[in-house]
Amino acid sequence: MYWLILLVAAWILGSPQPAVAQDNESCLACHQVEGTAITFPDGALDVTINSKKFAASVHKDFTCTTCHTKHTGYPHPPRTATSRRSYRVVAQQVCATCHADQSKTYELSVHGRGLRMGLGDVPLCTSCHTTHAVIKPKSAAFRNSIPETCGNCHADDAVMRRYGLRPVYQAYVEEFHGVTTRLYRLVTPAVRSPSAVCYDCHTAHAVRRVADPESPVAPANLLATCRRCHARAGSLFATAWTEHRIPSLRHSTLVYLAQLFYLILIPGVVGVLVVLTGLDLWHWAVTRWGGRA
Amino acid sequence: MMRRGGPTVERFSLAQRVEHFVLLLSFNILALTGLPQKYSAADWAQRLIAVFGGIETTRRIHRTLAVILIAQGLYHLVAVVAGRKRPVRRHDMHFSLADVRDLLGDAVFLAGRRRERPRFGRFDYRQKFEYWAVVWGTALMVATGLIMWFPIIVTRWLPGVVIPASRVVHGGEALLALFAVITWHFYNAHFRPNIFPMDPAMFTGQIPVERLRHEHAGEFEDLKARGLAPPPSHPEAQAEGKSQTD
Repeated sequence: MYWLILLVAAWILGSPQPAVAQDNESCLACHQVEGTAITFPDGALDVTINSKKFAASVHKDFTCTTCHTKHTGYPHPPRTATSRRSYRVVAQQVCATCHADQSKTYELSVHGRGLRMGLGDVPLCTSCHTTHAVIKPKSAAFRNSIPETCGNCHADDAVMRRYGLRPVYQAYVEEFHGVTTRLYRLVTPAVRSPSAVCYDCHTAHAVRRVADPESPVAPANLLATCRRCHARAGSLFATAWTEHRIPSLRHSTLVYLAQLFYLILIPGVVGVLVVLTGLDLWHWAVTRWGGRA
Repeated sequence: MMRRGGPTVERFSLAQRVEHFVLLLSFNILALTGLPQKYSAADWAQRLIAVFGGIETTRRIHRTLAVILIAQGLYHLVAVVAGRKRPVRRHDMHFSLADVRDLLGDAVFLAGRRRERPRFGRFDYRQKFEYWAVVWGTALMVATGLIMWFPIIVTRWLPGVVIPASRVVHGGEALLALFAVITWHFYNAHFRPNIFPMDPAMFTGQIPVERLRHEHAGEFEDLKARGLAPPPSHPEAQAEGKSQTD
């Protein structure tokens, strides 16, 4: 009995909490040093921890070993990953331990399926959420920079072409939603943009191909998706959509023609006005100094 | 420099001057709150929007001034229709082939190829062009602005493509108006050497008879024929006015 009490006491007193801070500090002793990195054949993986950013992250109260379960001591156990990419792919299984729902949704998404197919470009949890600087997805800072987060890949022509896609970022930031969100991000960063960002229409973790009939932006579902914000939108409302395309003769022809019209009209009109102004000044100068006219 | 002495005649009624002032105010504030939206990627645009307190306030200001401009436009229509029966100055702004002839004749005169300047009426071809550009431009800005403001109502009847097209037209027309105002209105009403720094007629409502005689000879003669034009006061005013405007 005496031993039993002693055991329980030891279990309570010896709970890991007090050891935590000390634990993180011993990790940071090495990992705070600028330039700490693991070298892989496909590039170096920076393993430097910015403790300030980590302290501002949602995981600030976690110990390093909460996620890095095997790295309880030094030297660390031998690495199994052979590339930077495979290291990161394996590492994101850690996220699933707590975020199982999101992880499952992601696995069924076009990104998750791409990952299973071994595609080297598809985003991992950390591609969007970062590793040690994870902030609340509902925060203004996260929401207002969603276009840039997605734009990391979806603005890149080379990456997009590998998958038969168009870069859409540039067209989005010129659309009304994109302009509004950019101005929130740059001018009033503490306020969440009320304008649609990528995930409002495409969803975040469940993103599908546009051609997928279950995609919220598939032609048949588009109006319903618009109505999630524009509740009273009529059947023609969704036809205002320019498909993240830069207008051309083939796509949004009327918009393109309007652009072309002003491209010609503005220099034309201003040119005539400048000529007439020049003539008037010329006449004045000749009258004043030329002694004729 | 502008001569302020000598007899004058009324050029703009008080109501017209107030209209002009409302237009001046709304045009400038609309441009200041609209252009940074068109060029939202530019640094200056973001700073300007920050001055207004963010994009929502910027849009609220823009739309408030738009309502004021629309109200003024409607008032103007009513005023023109109500005033159309007046016997004098009825077709002041009427644009005709004569104005095209005036433009070409004036260009030839200014280039020094002809001695006689065309005799302009109450408003010359430049002022008529400006007036009709404002009428047309305002109508287009109001139409495209309302389409963007009420996209849900508009797409009850019109295909959706009119919304992105309106954005382009609204921005293009704004730029055209701004450039026209800078190269044309600023020059004709501010920077012409004989009126610099500004033509005060729109604010005082009066124009010296001497200037009228030279710049709007047609109207001067019309007024004289009706016995409404006071004679120029003293000979030197006549002489000086002549040297400035010819």
